[in-house]
Amino acid sequence: MEEKKIGLPSAIATGVGLIVATSCLMSLGQGAGSIGITFIIAMVIACVFNLITALSLAELNALMPNLTGGLAQYTLAALGPFVSVIAMVGGYLVCNTICGAVECAMFGNTMNSVFKTGLPSSVFCVILLVVLIIANLYGIDMFAKIQDFVAYGLIFSLVIMGLIGMFKAGTGTVVNQPYVLSSSPKDIMSLVGLAFFLFLGCEFIIPIAPNVKNARRNVPLGMVLSLLIVCGMEVLVILGMHNYTKWDELASNTSPHVFYGVSLLGKAGEYWMAIVSIFAVVSTVNSVISSLSYICAGMAKINLLPAVFEKRNKHGAPYVGILMIGGLMIIINATGLSTTSQLSTMILIGCVFWMAAYAIASVDVLIFRKRLPKAPRTFKVPGGPVLPILGIAGNIFMMYNITADPDARRMIYIVVLIIFAALAVYATIWIKKVMQIPLFKPIPVHKVMAMENDMYMVVRRKMRAGETKKVTAEGSAS
Amino acid sequence: MGLTKIEIVTSLVKIDSLQKVLGKLGVTGMTVYQAMGCGTQYGAKEYEVEEKNETPALLPKQMVMVVVDDAVVPKVVDAVEKELYTGHIGDGKIFVSPVSNVIRVRTGEEGLDALK
Repeated sequence: MEEKKIGLPSAIATGVGLIVATSCLMSLGQGAGSIGITFIIAMVIACVFNLITALSLAELNALMPNLTGGLAQYTLAALGPFVSVIAMVGGYLVCNTICGAVECAMFGNTMNSVFKTGLPSSVFCVILLVVLIIANLYGIDMFAKIQDFVAYGLIFSLVIMGLIGMFKAGTGTVVNQPYVLSSSPKDIMSLVGLAFFLFLGCEFIIPIAPNVKNARRNVPLGMVLSLLIVCGMEVLVILGMHNYTKWDELASNTSPHVFYGVSLLGKAGEYWMAIVSIFAVVSTVNSVISSLSYICAGMAKINLLPAVFEKRNKHGAPYVGILMIGGLMIIINATGLSTTSQLSTMILIGCVFWMAAYAIASVDVLIFRKRLPKAPRTFKVPGGPVLPILGIAGNIFMMYNITADPDARRMIYIVVLIIFAALAVYATIWIKKVMQIPLFKPIPVHKVMAMENDMYMVVRRKMRAGETKKVTAEGSAS
Repeated sequence: MGLTKIEIVTSLVKIDSLQKVLGKLGVTGMTVYQAMGCGTQYGAKEYEVEEKNETPALLPKQMVMVVVDDAVVPKVVDAVEKELYTGHIGDGKIFVSPVSNVIRVRTGEEGLDALK
């Protein structure tokens, strides 16, 4: 049996590493700068909705353990291949590739604003991506080593900087300002969509579950602890921001986290926050490249993507996915994304698909409770159907409140619909022509589990090749 | 209070973890048989899941037999189910049947006393 290599600390690092991104730090500053510390309420609401989703995913993982593709396979069994392809290819592959590329772009901008090298920002992006691609090609061990280092470095830095700020122990000038700029429920709720982005990504622990020791306990626990750690960390940072950065300056700054670092500790703070940004980007992009490549391999295994994504190198790394995802991010950045003003819009577009995927996870839970009520579950979301229903409603609410600006919201929805249409065309053609199964017919759970076996598709492809040869031979004979 | 026999058919790889779970539940004894068997798939491999073998092909299994107090049967069955469950074909089966008596040969004790 293959040795399990990842313990609970590394599982948490994977979750935290994906969740905390430079774009999160930017959103944190903008949110807090808009309404003051009442943004914490919006954050807690968003964290709760994400916890519900994490619990739903934990129940799905208990019902269908150790599947490489994660939500793709759960949804395949619950709602059929069409929804599975849209949710996964749209919600994860496309949008995480975009979000990862945006992260790299922000990293390049941060490096230039702090170190003023004069080099184009995209140079830093490309160098970082090349390093991470190479590291991930060395397999899950290398990914975990990098992830542990940067994620715990990130947690440590943000907690310390938050505490220094909260206790007014910084070298900068303490600012006197009200804690609260707005306590209106309307203002708070309008920022829940922004706050939601601060917590997306804990489920990236699931694709690496087969490599996690005591996965039954550590996968759900890792997801929940990642969210709680991130929430706690960000609350500390907001309290620190109150003491050292004027709210209006924070809200209008393009790198509010760097601004906080400078205000808190001067030049040392600027460099420290630059390091935090590096850690955030590295951990996010590292998680994205690794987890997405495993998701692609899992989807290829169940024939939702071409078989080439299953190929692994001698280190066991799904190299085709790694090269494709990393390569796409390089192309996006090399074409000048760093200089675009559309960074935050692209993030929000990605978020809408991500929230849809989260809502689908809760739908899957309810479907399986109806269809397989007696199947043993080592974990079950407490409270009956209440929390999954709340999760679905919360995610739809987030999508509706993705941004307070109605024009921007309309634009986001238009782009989402265009991407959805393209995915729907791909899904229909792929499912009808390649998979040759009905679009919306769920695949039984035991068959989806069987698909995880390496021999499953090998046997089927041989069978189809044999049938094709037979039909061709009969055609020639007649 | 009555006695119940629980017979668990499981794969060879699960026996160690099953022993640990039964030990934690306070089960005071177990008997393990090496067995050969098949289920509704007639021994077909998991990746051949759409096809059933024409004749049953027997696969190596282990049968674990425990006798417990009626009151703990739901707890034991639930724990065994959760331990054995992988979602894959071949997770096994649990048979539950009543036992009229148990006798400890050395002391002549009967019923629940023979299990303590």
